[in-house]
Amino acid sequence: MTGRSELRIKLAANAQEAQPVRHALGAFLSAIGIEGVRREDILTAAGEALVNAIEHAYDGRPADTDEIEIFARQEDGTGLVIDVSDRGRFIELAERPGRGLGLRIARAIAQTVSIDTENGTTVRMIFTT
Amino acid sequence: MTSRSIEVIHLAGELDIARRSEISAALQVNGSEAGILVDCCKVTYADSTALAELLRFRNDAKNRQVPIAVLTGSTQFVRVIQYAGLNGVFEIFEHRAPALTYLSNAGKLP
Repeated sequence: MTGRSELRIKLAANAQEAQPVRHALGAFLSAIGIEGVRREDILTAAGEALVNAIEHAYDGRPADTDEIEIFARQEDGTGLVIDVSDRGRFIELAERPGRGLGLRIARAIAQTVSIDTENGTTVRMIFTT
Repeated sequence: MTSRSIEVIHLAGELDIARRSEISAALQVNGSEAGILVDCCKVTYADSTALAELLRFRNDAKNRQVPIAVLTGSTQFVRVIQYAGLNGVFEIFEHRAPALTYLSNAGKLP
């Protein structure tokens, strides 16, 4: 046993998947002692990264053939790290009218938000806990 | 003369990407309202897709000169509006009475 807490979930790029994944992440956060407003905010930020992957990463492609992964873990000296990865093309939400709010919300909550677009897209959010 | 009234739209539960069509259908303005109260007291979670629909609705209402007010319950909902930088875009109230007073004063009630 390493003592390291982590949660890894794979899901299809389907809007119906967002809520159960948020609930699972919420249970994980509670299990590692993150509660209250901080828990809600982290779920909000992670939810936005999920929405981004579900809504934009697989434009025009069948959702059931694709896969999104959310990987949350506590890292010593860093805090809580959450990666949301997909194999699609990242699309700046601001390119679309009325959109662009999701990343703004995530960036307002997380200490850092980075986007790696090599081999798909990974949005990494780091939260001090 | 046709009397105009304040209409109330109730939203509840978790407003996320899976419910975008439902939210969009609920948030409609036809221009005959004196004002619209969007009651979000039972909303437990809202994401950017819900905010985008609310923003679209607000713009539609503004174009038709129908005032809207948003009644909130969950602090997550209030915070997500703040995080999105939409403070001041919506008239937000914690209690129904002042929201209705605002709509009565801002709307087309005689």
